[in-house]
Amino acid sequence: MEKKIYYLLFIAFFALLLPAGHLMGWVSINTISLWGRYFCFAIAALGIDLIWGYTGILSMCQAFFFCLGSYGIAMHMLLKTSGSALPEFMVWNKVESLPFFWVPFQSFGLTLVLCLVIPSLLAFVIGYVLFRSRIKGVYMAIITQALALAMWLLFLRNETGLGGTNGLTDFKTLLGLPLSNTYVKLGLYLMSLLLLCVAYFACYQITHSKFGKVLQAIRDSESRVSFTAYKVMDYKLAVFVVAALLAAIGGMLYAPQTGIITPGRMDVKASVEMVMWVALGGRGKLKGAVAGALLVNFLYSICTSLFPDSWLYILGFLFVITVLFFDKGFVGLMDNLTKRKEPCY
Amino acid sequence: MKTTRFLFFCFLLAAFASCHNNAGKTGENTTDNGETVKIGVLHSLSGTMAISEVSLRDAVQMAVDEINASGGVLGKKIEPVIVDPASDWDLFAEKAKELLIDKKVSAVFGCWTSVSRKSVLPVFEENNGLLFYPVQYEGEECSNNVIYTGATPNQQLIPAAEYLMSEKGGGYKKFYLLGTDYVFPRTANKILKAYLLSKGVPNENIIEEYTPFHHQDYQTIVSKIKRFAADGKACVLSTINGDSNVPFYKEFANQGLSSATCPIMAFSVAEDELRSMDTEFLVGHLAAWNYFQSNDSPENKKFVEAFKAFCEKKGLPGGSKRVTDDPICWAYTGVYLWARAATKAGSFDVNKVRTALSGLEFDSPDGKVKMDVGNHHLAKPVMIGEIKPDGQFDIISKTDNLVSPQPWSPLTSPDKDCDWVNHKGTYTK
Amino acid sequence: MKNMLIAALVLWTQWAMAATDSTTIFVSQILHDSEKTYAIQQLVARQDPQTFALLNAINNKKLYLFNNEAVTTGEKNGTSSYEIYSLYPKNELLVNKNGQPLHTSIDALTVVEISRADRLLLNGILPILELFSPEPAKRMLAYGQLKDSHAPHRIEMLQVALARETNTDALRAGKDILYAIQLNTTTDAQTAKRYIDSLAENWGDNAPVFLSAYAKSKKPFADYAGQKASSLERKYDYLQKVQNLFSGLSLGSILILIALGLSIVYGLAGIINMAHGEFLMIGAYTTYCIQTLFTEVLKVPYTDLLFIISLPLSFLVAGLLGLLLERLVVRHLYARPLESLLATWGVSLILIQTARSLFGDLTAVKTPAFLSGGLAVSPHLVLPYNRIFIIGLTALIVLLTYLMLYKTRIGLQIRAVTQNRNMSACLGIDTKKVAALTFFFGSGLAGIAGCAMTLIGNVVPDMGQTYIVDSFLVVVTGGVGKIVGTIVSGLGIGFFTKILEAFFQAVYGKVCILLFIMLFMQYKPKGLFPYKGRLAED
Repeated sequence: MEKKIYYLLFIAFFALLLPAGHLMGWVSINTISLWGRYFCFAIAALGIDLIWGYTGILSMCQAFFFCLGSYGIAMHMLLKTSGSALPEFMVWNKVESLPFFWVPFQSFGLTLVLCLVIPSLLAFVIGYVLFRSRIKGVYMAIITQALALAMWLLFLRNETGLGGTNGLTDFKTLLGLPLSNTYVKLGLYLMSLLLLCVAYFACYQITHSKFGKVLQAIRDSESRVSFTAYKVMDYKLAVFVVAALLAAIGGMLYAPQTGIITPGRMDVKASVEMVMWVALGGRGKLKGAVAGALLVNFLYSICTSLFPDSWLYILGFLFVITVLFFDKGFVGLMDNLTKRKEPCY
Repeated sequence: MKTTRFLFFCFLLAAFASCHNNAGKTGENTTDNGETVKIGVLHSLSGTMAISEVSLRDAVQMAVDEINASGGVLGKKIEPVIVDPASDWDLFAEKAKELLIDKKVSAVFGCWTSVSRKSVLPVFEENNGLLFYPVQYEGEECSNNVIYTGATPNQQLIPAAEYLMSEKGGGYKKFYLLGTDYVFPRTANKILKAYLLSKGVPNENIIEEYTPFHHQDYQTIVSKIKRFAADGKACVLSTINGDSNVPFYKEFANQGLSSATCPIMAFSVAEDELRSMDTEFLVGHLAAWNYFQSNDSPENKKFVEAFKAFCEKKGLPGGSKRVTDDPICWAYTGVYLWARAATKAGSFDVNKVRTALSGLEFDSPDGKVKMDVGNHHLAKPVMIGEIKPDGQFDIISKTDNLVSPQPWSPLTSPDKDCDWVNHKGTYTK
Repeated sequence: MKNMLIAALVLWTQWAMAATDSTTIFVSQILHDSEKTYAIQQLVARQDPQTFALLNAINNKKLYLFNNEAVTTGEKNGTSSYEIYSLYPKNELLVNKNGQPLHTSIDALTVVEISRADRLLLNGILPILELFSPEPAKRMLAYGQLKDSHAPHRIEMLQVALARETNTDALRAGKDILYAIQLNTTTDAQTAKRYIDSLAENWGDNAPVFLSAYAKSKKPFADYAGQKASSLERKYDYLQKVQNLFSGLSLGSILILIALGLSIVYGLAGIINMAHGEFLMIGAYTTYCIQTLFTEVLKVPYTDLLFIISLPLSFLVAGLLGLLLERLVVRHLYARPLESLLATWGVSLILIQTARSLFGDLTAVKTPAFLSGGLAVSPHLVLPYNRIFIIGLTALIVLLTYLMLYKTRIGLQIRAVTQNRNMSACLGIDTKKVAALTFFFGSGLAGIAGCAMTLIGNVVPDMGQTYIVDSFLVVVTGGVGKIVGTIVSGLGIGFFTKILEAFFQAVYGKVCILLFIMLFMQYKPKGLFPYKGRLAED
């Protein structure tokens, strides 16, 4: 019971206290948006925890799925902002008419559907090809990493019609609401928080269902699970698609709050970083994933301002030490500390 | 169970830390109070762009030190708030917000790539900040919240093409426009092509080509250039970026082309990039900028000496071997422009400083430069330099007068112009 | 030919006698007047050898006035004083009263400003100024420039120069131009055909251009020239393919060099070392440091030997740092590949930042003289020496690694531990020591790769990142821990990348390679050469 109270306090704090603080003038809107963006990362981190922490598949292309969601929503917003004219970057790219794959993004409903369907479909195809041939462990990690690299290179090109290195930027409205408005920002923040809670709850249900138990069994010994007549591939495929979906949802909320989406968000480094959040927070624990994503990004923001010359050392050492000594992450460390205080019987 | 409690308190702490940060600042936010005035420095110190941007941070820091040593601005010392946007374009926007909203800086000096500028632009416009942007860029932008101290296309591209077509520059008739695939080369070449066509160069004598970032293999492109140059006076206008330059120039020389037969006019190669490169293959080729270190005016000699001494004193990598170049000069000048404007306005208020900047003149290391009255860009001389073996440039041509900036090129957007005094920014003629 | 040379010289002398007076006037006009264009034009038109030194000085932008005499600077003496040479009418070293060479600082000389436009006027006769240059490369350039110049007597000059040409490349370039000029000026059909044949046979760089230009004209044998041009093009394309294969081989050997260490370490210890690329960077910086140390701190003049000694030293430095990493970090992570991947990624962040704050961002190593340039298999197929060196180095390293693994006791131990760690420990092998040694060796190999990479590109802190994902792919495709697998897949990926690049652009080529590997893994999920038997499961 005590546990639940803290979850509620966590929600209450972020859902009520911070916005209230803003209205009272204590908390700047920048801080609110910042946490809103962290929540987007946390949603994606939940997905990574599902596939890596619970199923033991290390996927290094989650940032790519994250960006697919972001690009989708950004395309919609850009079309709405530029109205009947072509988006600015197409003009200097000498594109005369709107490319065919941009057309569906004029409608918000269709955009929502596509933002969810495209990443899941891609994840399904990639997952199918990889899992069918029983690629796992390090092989899986490296191939998905190479995939992320290839996709990054593709998105960098101007010919692909997605803005090249500059990505998509300068969107002004979402559903007719001006993004620069403080209340819209607050709304997006609350929306992110809400979706984080929903995603957390859904993942909690998944991990505590029979399906979740099978996933953990696959992590612990894949061959034994397959010997007991479970179709391992179906389970892996399902969880891979769910993770991609979560990443895409995070991405969709991320673009309007940041105001820009570029291929830089999906390079090789970005995916490894996402995995690092989960590792640092504590994998195999949903709250670990959320804590990791929030804390690492918070540290990243703080350190790049406070120690502009040495923040890379700080984060680097943090990663190494966490992996070396606290393999259950931050949450695991807390567990250990608290357990020791309990009396032994 | 206790873990959750711990976690919760951690977040509480973190969130309060970030709130406290601003809460404290909101009290003394109006930067006019206190002993110091804050400015933001938004240059990448890590990641891919660190190569270029670290030098700009050093230049800004040096200007700040100099101004502080001579008493500061309006009786206040300048306090630079240096952050590292880590070549991460999203982080640029985040840091810009932090500098403007939380740190309440009076002005920000930063950005290099077009994408980083585009990323922070909405932030500056929303919060009425002031960004000094020191790098030459593609134009077609004229924000009320940016002071563009770098060159507009007509201050770099057009004079260079003009020079090459002139009798004095060699009277070249064919042009190969080669660039890295991103916004600056694409827009630059669009403008160059429009200019060349308007000067009667036939379309078939202009070739446009783009390579990806970090491209290393220029064999096919150079043999294309070789054929292109085989039957007539041809030159290359290069917007190739960064580390691709050395392989390109190497291949160029290896295939028997030279600056005498087919010169390369570069728009993105400056002294700082050549600092520790093997310049053997680049010698004799050309570059167009508004400033060269080899400019032998007394002001510039003083500036170069001071920069070297500054780098050595601070123990920065490179020490006294550091060189100055165009963006470094404008990053440095930007700080002084801001300080002068603030002094003239008697306030650090963005609107007042902006008004004071209009038409402001300043003796930069490059000689006298003048802020445009209406469009937030800087009027300055244009120079063409020839690369020397030591990585410096021999200035072979220099405009007599300051060239006025044109953010909207009359060639590609003839009906547009920008004026923040008589119009509300960009307007249609 | 000798007669011709004499004839040409006699011709020159005669002009010289007749025109000396007015030449002197033009020279003084260049030195003292503001309007120099006409005077330079006149000198250029006269082509008086007596003025060549002066014209050359103009071209090199080293024309000065000293005691009202035209001079140029020569060898630097000390920090700021130079020897000076008079230019006209005599070209000689100036001496002081004691007959010693006169040294002057550059400030004592008055610069004679010549605009770039005026200097460009020299372009027409530059070839002739340089036809007799001692450097073959300059002569080649000179021949090339003669084609567009309208210098009178250029055919005669060319013939004179070619008669004494010793360098084969320069000879070919010269003949190319000579035949082309002759072909375009001749009026006789049979002579034209002969020149077309000669042009095709000589096959200089510009021959296809000349021939196809001729083919477009309405002159006799135009079609014939067209045929010859396209046959040359075909031959050229064929050579281009060979060049592509060579590029593939070279890329492949770089990948092998990097992937070899990675593969051995993974096979033995189950460690995926994300910081492997950074050991490459360390190797490159070692090379850079050695060069800087010797040439700038110890003031030893630069020799190519420095690069040779950098090779073993970069192995050692990278290896020792690898050992340090193993002792501090990696030994906690044996057989936990995914964790090791993350921890070493953190290490790579730290290493990159350290390099950045130590060295700054852009540095480069001087390429040794014996590795610059290329081996001309045929005039149109030049294989750069630095690439050949890397291929050779890779072959040597692979051989040494093979010998180490299969012919020594420690190699035997490494293989044993790779196969079954526990069993080896039972048999008395110190597995910890073996693992540490392997890590040392693997990191050292990356160091050598880094040293070799300085021949190709710049030395920058994040240079390790360029090839690291590709070399991971090599390891995975080849089957971890297998030398043969690494070699085969390294070469395979190298070749395929270059072949695909010829069809698509580099980026799409990369995407294709990846799709291809994913399909390939459908059949060989554990790579080309997987370990067999029960051991291989899990």
